[in-house]
Amino acid sequence: MKTIIEEIDGKFVAKLSGEMDTLAAIEAEKVMKPLYQAGGKDVVIDCSKLEYIASSGLRILLNILKGAKAAGSKVVMKGVNEDIKTVFKLTGFISLFEFED
Amino acid sequence: MMNISETNHTQEVREYQLIMKNDIREVTKLSAFLKEVLEKLNFVPSVATQYRLAIEESVVNVMQYAYPIDTEGYIEVRIRKDGDRVKTMIVDGGSPFDPTSQKEPDTSLSAEERQIGGLGIHLMRKLVDAIIYERIEEQNVLTLVKELRIEN
Repeated sequence: MKTIIEEIDGKFVAKLSGEMDTLAAIEAEKVMKPLYQAGGKDVVIDCSKLEYIASSGLRILLNILKGAKAAGSKVVMKGVNEDIKTVFKLTGFISLFEFED
Repeated sequence: MMNISETNHTQEVREYQLIMKNDIREVTKLSAFLKEVLEKLNFVPSVATQYRLAIEESVVNVMQYAYPIDTEGYIEVRIRKDGDRVKTMIVDGGSPFDPTSQKEPDTSLSAEERQIGGLGIHLMRKLVDAIIYERIEEQNVLTLVKELRIEN
């Protein structure tokens, strides 16, 4: 699994590729932790190449969202596939995040 | 009148087994095993993904709670096709732990109110068709059942 974070047009864009199983999530969190305090910048999580996510991954996303809400900024989930959308629905995360294709 | 009929009961019972340690680094081995086995069992891909996730969450849960901290312990994952359904048994020798008795998270809470914990077990419950927990001779035996043809 690969995690890349870039700053584009004043937003943070995190690109997640591959499969985020519980172990991959531990590694991904190290890279994504700065986004827990994104300093008021909007965050885009590009999931167009993400094929799988375990609950540890969802926890990272929730932490990013909590930080963003506290700072009054947005988190947008981009390109989430149907399988992962199902996981978002089952956990109620579907109503917490904004989605873009 | 004698009615002789011959029925051929061919029950496909194939079992795949993985023995692992309660070490999070073994998740890589588990993921590879699950992908391979679930594909062999001809699951529709989205259903395979659901089942894989449920099994991973259960195994990770066992890793975190079954054995005392810093104790090495085993976890066995046995996957068995039984006609139209697949049963996965997750067996460990840790202290009694029944994940089916844990409290459900409230999925209607806002982001600020949502708790970080409880997601794994919640997903495990939602992604399979039946869950059976048994305590058999000093072992926790958790069985997760998934039908092959139905999507959740």
